[in-house]
Amino acid sequence: MLVLKRIDSILKKLEGYLIFFFLALMVSLTFLQVCLRGLYTHAHIHWANTLMGYFDWSEPFVRLLVLWLTFLGASLVTREDKHIKIDLCHHLLSPRLLLIRNLIISIVCSLVSGIMVKVSLEYIKMEIEFGGSMFLNLPSWLGQSIIPIGFALIHLRFLLDTIIKGRQLFYWKKQ
Amino acid sequence: MIILMVILLLILVFMGLPLFIGLLAAAMLGLYVNQVEFTAIVIEIFRLANSPVLLAIPLFTFTGYLLAEGNTGARMVRFSRSLLGWLPGGHGVVAIITCAFFTSLTGATGITIIALGGLLFPMLIAEKYEEDFTLGLLTISGSLGLHFPPCLAVILYGFVSGVNIEKLFIAGILPGILIISIPAVYSIYKGKKWNLNRPPFSSKEFLSAFKEAMWELPIPLVIIAGIYSGLNTATEAAAITVGYVIIIKTLVFRELSFFKDLPGIAIESMKMVGSILIIMGAALGFTNYLIDAFIPIKILHFLEGFIQSRVGFLLVLNLFLIVVGCMMDIFSAILVIVPLIVPLAARFGIDPVHLGIIFIANLGIGYNTPPVGLNLFIASSRFKRPVVHLYKATLPFLLLLLTGLFIITYFPALTLFLPKLLMNS
Repeated sequence: MLVLKRIDSILKKLEGYLIFFFLALMVSLTFLQVCLRGLYTHAHIHWANTLMGYFDWSEPFVRLLVLWLTFLGASLVTREDKHIKIDLCHHLLSPRLLLIRNLIISIVCSLVSGIMVKVSLEYIKMEIEFGGSMFLNLPSWLGQSIIPIGFALIHLRFLLDTIIKGRQLFYWKKQ
Repeated sequence: MIILMVILLLILVFMGLPLFIGLLAAAMLGLYVNQVEFTAIVIEIFRLANSPVLLAIPLFTFTGYLLAEGNTGARMVRFSRSLLGWLPGGHGVVAIITCAFFTSLTGATGITIIALGGLLFPMLIAEKYEEDFTLGLLTISGSLGLHFPPCLAVILYGFVSGVNIEKLFIAGILPGILIISIPAVYSIYKGKKWNLNRPPFSSKEFLSAFKEAMWELPIPLVIIAGIYSGLNTATEAAAITVGYVIIIKTLVFRELSFFKDLPGIAIESMKMVGSILIIMGAALGFTNYLIDAFIPIKILHFLEGFIQSRVGFLLVLNLFLIVVGCMMDIFSAILVIVPLIVPLAARFGIDPVHLGIIFIANLGIGYNTPPVGLNLFIASSRFKRPVVHLYKATLPFLLLLLTGLFIITYFPALTLFLPKLLMNS
């Protein structure tokens, strides 16, 4: 239990650093791209076009970053239990029933995200064997690997949440 | 067995199951019944990495969060106050316009009420506006300005429905102005009736406020001009805007420190992006199943049984979207509902651009609709009033906004006039 919490807090820091790093990359690369394209198409400066040739990998790369940022962000949201949801009965339940409901939801979430980890791993295995390559001749599974990684991070958080709520309910009964 | 699972899942979704988990589970059930491998979901999720349009979402969200920090709100309020404060009910108009400006930049995320509420509420009360009027006005203000660039809701709608985003933004200008001018006129009417104090226009104050606001004021205009002139796409506009905002916030105003503040804001904004786009990924997996299973066509056949006319369809759509908008936030509503409605609307001869504008106006109103509209709860916690009190305070504004929605829905020319005029090529 303590080990899981330690892992969780280390991961949180790592995710934060990665998010900042990726977002900084995304902002600077897209900004650069737009400037260079503007220089070439509106001012007809030819070195801008040549320079753009060196950055031709940046567009697919930045689009891939959208996916990476999505999963890293979603993982942090899972950690804080702030996912978008429709909750019609929050005010109607007693504290104990609320806890039971939350436990059920955590279990379902762990289950579904667990299945997604398994399925996306299978998909990546297939890609490693038969997949093509993306920009800069990198294998395409490398870019897709965030899907199993992301679902694993999300799964871990839901699992931790399930354990915490399960314990709360267990001790509640004893009181 | 499957039907039982579907019912169970629906119950869980309404009882607080995270929406993306619900959508993933629904996709799994559907694929299981059709005996398709679950990897189909993974392929759909990977589509998030293949759209230049989606790139605009993290960029604009980050921009919005940057603007919400520091004193941008205060500068905007001061400027519009110096410009419009002399009108009868002018301070209400000031609140409406500043909020619309802010909401278009930050999306309908409740940030507007949180960032500006603390500034505008005491201002209006000090100017002797009735408390209920003030509360109602500030509550609905979180859903004004949704049609203006670079609002995320419009970008999402464009992505999901396949309608050109630049066209949607241009189509949204007139309906957007209508939606904000209705409560503005109401405020002027009330201001006249209450005979409020009207500070005279001071050109000195105006100039000094303008000087302060001149760095941020042009942001929406530059985005509109860029998109409208065809100079850049929404995504390119996003790249330019975010670069510009970082520069003015860290170098011109020195409100944010590059290394101390920016990482935190980056993380907060990407949490927002993550929670929306993960739903989008799951929704892509689910709607892919729906379309493969011909669900929209089945719904259409069902509806055609008792809706024959366009107006009938629009009426049902309006009511349905208010209910949806009051239960769901605008982003997930677009992701889940739009793929189902677009083919139906096409059958009834509704222009997809017009449909998008109706959608966004409608969902925005749903935000303020009792009993569970999101804005009501945000305002209740921000202004420390019971939600029931806010139901009452918001009611006149809600009725006014519904009039606006009625005009937007049943006079398509209002929406389609500008794109026809400007984008005929």
